[in-house]
Amino acid sequence: MNDDIRALSAEVARDPASLAFVPLSEALRVRGQLDAATKVALAGMEHHPNLADGHDLYARILADAGDVEGAADEWSIALALDPRHAGAHKGLGFANFRQGDLDAALEHLELALAADPTDQTIVQALQTVRQIAQQAAAHPAEVPERPAVFAGLEGADHGLLLVDPQGRVLAGGLRAQSGHDVAEEVAAYLAGVSQEAERTARLLELGEWRWIMAEGERGHLHLSAPSTSALLLLARDKSVPSGRLAILAARAAEVARRWLEAQTL
Amino acid sequence: MTQTRAVEPWTLEPLQRFVAEAAARLALLTTTSGQVIAQHGFTRAVDVMSAAALGAAIAASTSEITRMLQEPAFRALSHQGQSHGIFLAHFETPRGPMLALVVYGGDSSIGLVQLFFEQFARDLAAACPTPEPAKPVLAADFERDLNESLAALFGR
Amino acid sequence: MTTKFQAALDRVTRVRGVRGAMLVASEDGLVVAESLMEGVRGNAVAALAASLAKRFHRASETAACGVPEFLHLQASQGSLLATPAPSGMLLVVVAEADINVGLARLEMRKAGEAVA
Repeated sequence: MNDDIRALSAEVARDPASLAFVPLSEALRVRGQLDAATKVALAGMEHHPNLADGHDLYARILADAGDVEGAADEWSIALALDPRHAGAHKGLGFANFRQGDLDAALEHLELALAADPTDQTIVQALQTVRQIAQQAAAHPAEVPERPAVFAGLEGADHGLLLVDPQGRVLAGGLRAQSGHDVAEEVAAYLAGVSQEAERTARLLELGEWRWIMAEGERGHLHLSAPSTSALLLLARDKSVPSGRLAILAARAAEVARRWLEAQTL
Repeated sequence: MTQTRAVEPWTLEPLQRFVAEAAARLALLTTTSGQVIAQHGFTRAVDVMSAAALGAAIAASTSEITRMLQEPAFRALSHQGQSHGIFLAHFETPRGPMLALVVYGGDSSIGLVQLFFEQFARDLAAACPTPEPAKPVLAADFERDLNESLAALFGR
Repeated sequence: MTTKFQAALDRVTRVRGVRGAMLVASEDGLVVAESLMEGVRGNAVAALAASLAKRFHRASETAACGVPEFLHLQASQGSLLATPAPSGMLLVVVAEADINVGLARLEMRKAGEAVA
């Protein structure tokens, strides 16, 4: 344990209401000791529940732990306490950037810079986000390289998507009618859909779920689980009868199963 | 890092299951006088204490209204806000009456919360240990018990 | 109003293989009206069907297929059908695994029109 942490710990032990909890918790966070940092931060906030710096600190701990949503909530509390808090604006800029909302990220980073013009990390973050926003506007998103599992099947790269149970794309592709690649976004939702389908079938005593089909205003979707480790989504426009969807899905599921078995060897 | 913590350990697993199934953001289990038994999702003791006191007060005033109307005892209230819903329920356990205060977001619904709350109440009844005989409460014991409760609820 | 809802649901339950039909408040997952066989838990059907429909709706919109007009969950021992109904409701049917989906869907559409 280095001298700074030792001295700060002694101060907080001597006076639990001391504001030294903020730099102590921050030092622990930077060292990756998130549990200890959390305990110190929460204990300190018991004495100072309206300290914006405390909420900003706790938000950074949550962000380090991967809880970006929780971190965003804490930064929002910090801003409610201090609308010009640079750290909270910077944090919300980061959270919005992670969630893909570049406009909101830029807005918060600009407010952070206005509150603290000397913080070079904010300047750098702004440059990065502006660059990405400009690139996104100039060039539509490139479709990432994915295994051509469904080559030869109808809709192989734009209407057939293989996804893992955590909502990550394994193979195939999905495009909206405009041509925009929506594979990653849709994949993220499918994990929740399959979990809800499994729970519904189980709790309503319908047995094991096999597939779900939806006929939408502009297209049809068919979701099934060719194996316990994957979900298969088939998307077609409205001109394809829903009965045909089941046949196409069964063919694609067979291809997907063979490919998945090959991956585990 | 949202955690579920309990002063009474037997409530922990049922509460964790309920929170997961109902997708609750916050959950608070208290006695009808507002003494906290378990919580999920709260980060500050002051928020827990405030929510517990308010929940107990709402339950008490609603019970009084139902009594005046000669209706059966109050069972549950709900409020749907723009981005969050609140559910407050009064139910019996082998350890006596309890209150559950639940806050949920757009990824859940009052229907889901009510559905899994029924299971939660059954799970609590099944997990409840045999009640101990009541002991006289001394001021020193109360202070110590309160501090121990806070430590259990916030992992300190 | 209740009679109209009940009459519409009763029509749907006459389709062979249907174990229950209900109108559900789609945001809240609460029962509005129901016509269920013994053993079908109405509050569970309402809450879970509404939640499933909401989740699939998000996936469908993101895939640019639009609002789901008909949802069919097929399981090994039963199935769940759902279609939007007026005033933010969902018409939900619990059925045997081998139900004639085309016929059920037709009656569900008529029921939806009847409750408008």
